[in-house]
Amino acid sequence: MGFDTNVPDSSVSAGTDAGIDCRSVTAGYLGSRVLHQISFRITEPSIYVVLGPNGAGKTTLFRTLAGILQPYEGEVYIGGEPIDRQSSRDRLHYLTHMDGLPDGLSVREALEFFARAEGAQSRDVDRVLDQLEIRDLSARFPSQLSAGQRKRVSIARIFLRERSIYLLDEPTANLDPKVARETRELILKLSREKIVLYSSHNLFEAREIGRYVLVIKSGQISRFDRIENVRGSRYVLGIRVLQPSPALAAYDHEGEYYLRELSGPEEVPAVLRELMAQGVQIREAREMENPLEDLFT
Amino acid sequence: MSESATENVSRSLLSVSVRRAWVTGRFFLVYGTGISLLLGVLLAHFSGPSFASSYPLFVPIFGVVGSMGGLTVFTSDRTKGVLEYLIAYGYSPRRLFANVLLTTLVLVSIVVGIGVSVSLGVYFAAGHTATSALTIGVGVYAVPMAFACAAFAATVGVYWTALSSPRAGINSPVGLIPFIGILPALVTLFVIVAITLSGPLSTTTLLLILGSATGLVAIFVIVLLASMGRLLRRERLLSPA
Repeated sequence: MGFDTNVPDSSVSAGTDAGIDCRSVTAGYLGSRVLHQISFRITEPSIYVVLGPNGAGKTTLFRTLAGILQPYEGEVYIGGEPIDRQSSRDRLHYLTHMDGLPDGLSVREALEFFARAEGAQSRDVDRVLDQLEIRDLSARFPSQLSAGQRKRVSIARIFLRERSIYLLDEPTANLDPKVARETRELILKLSREKIVLYSSHNLFEAREIGRYVLVIKSGQISRFDRIENVRGSRYVLGIRVLQPSPALAAYDHEGEYYLRELSGPEEVPAVLRELMAQGVQIREAREMENPLEDLFT
Repeated sequence: MSESATENVSRSLLSVSVRRAWVTGRFFLVYGTGISLLLGVLLAHFSGPSFASSYPLFVPIFGVVGSMGGLTVFTSDRTKGVLEYLIAYGYSPRRLFANVLLTTLVLVSIVVGIGVSVSLGVYFAAGHTATSALTIGVGVYAVPMAFACAAFAATVGVYWTALSSPRAGINSPVGLIPFIGILPALVTLFVIVAITLSGPLSTTTLLLILGSATGLVAIFVIVLLASMGRLLRRERLLSPA
């Protein structure tokens, strides 16, 4: 298994090779506690989507794992070493929810600056300029970029140098759908060998990209599971058809969709077969509610 | 990072910060240097020996104005999450504060270096000679007080930036700090003027007043710097969540 929650301290030693090992961590700002006794351990390379309502503590968790906030209680180990060691920090990339682009530097100069800070080379800057398709922005300053372009440049820096752990705080916020999809594809490629913690408010994106979901509510982990294990309290199938049919008379309506509540997705093929047998020409069938929504309630 | 790599990165951070301070705060630098030069050259050329007792009193004011680029960069970096990024990669708040301070001192050295050397050149070229008042004015007050006031402005600005919510415009640290930074120099100027109006000012008294003013500001800056590690925790440097 790739993770454990509420790991008893005795079961984990400091020398463990775990990717992220968070032990009974309480953290926050200037004495005000935001995270309360959070424990989990992640070892399997994959994408872990961090979900939670605004103010739940997602950014605080990322900042604590990145070593920016020092826990009031508990410990964070990265690659088996305490987070306050430079060798631990060198194992991870942290992408803040802000763009983090320095004023007064062009895109290329900013990436050169980040590259020096991370021990990467100029050729790495050229590589990511091509990889993220932002070479045409090289000479522009942050103030001359759109929000989406700034985010793209910001994301580029996590590709400057390879790390084993990536903490990405809302990496696709403000991106248009095309760029967001391309960014997700890049992150998906990245996750084949890496541990990626990825926070998002977009539940559909979370389902698309994540293998695991880590839900934070009021500074505590309320669920940590495989996304496929997360099932909503109800499953509503929406069907669009080419022509209205009497076979759909008992269905509810929502826009162009005919709705039917099922006990789960396994019933969908039988329902569709039955409708087609009655001559209904189906144009589209989709799940109308995202089961991850229930994690917020 | 190894120690030598850390040193290289710190030097690199300073050089990048100075360049960014030039790009984002060049108005301040050009304005401070320009006014300092203009006033210095006019006084050196037209005021005769009274240049020695007047010009040094203005130098710190232009030094503060010209060096605001350092604080501009720091304020912007805090708001935009750059400081958060740097902390995540192992930069301590102390090193980030030191970077603001050093950037400010590099900028003030440009303003003072150009202003004082050109003004003195014009003064000597006009046939005047160095007097003890001029030596005291420039050596004990103008140059050290310019550095002390700029450091004072930068340090107070860092405190203010870190302890307040991000804001922009004239009501922001960058908007108001120049006025606060020049206060010690203005107070000194008024004291000298007040004493001069009530009677002749001896060289010893001048040395005492100017030396005390510089010393007081320097001590205040040292106290603020020493308290930074305790009062300004890293949470203060993060962008709003």
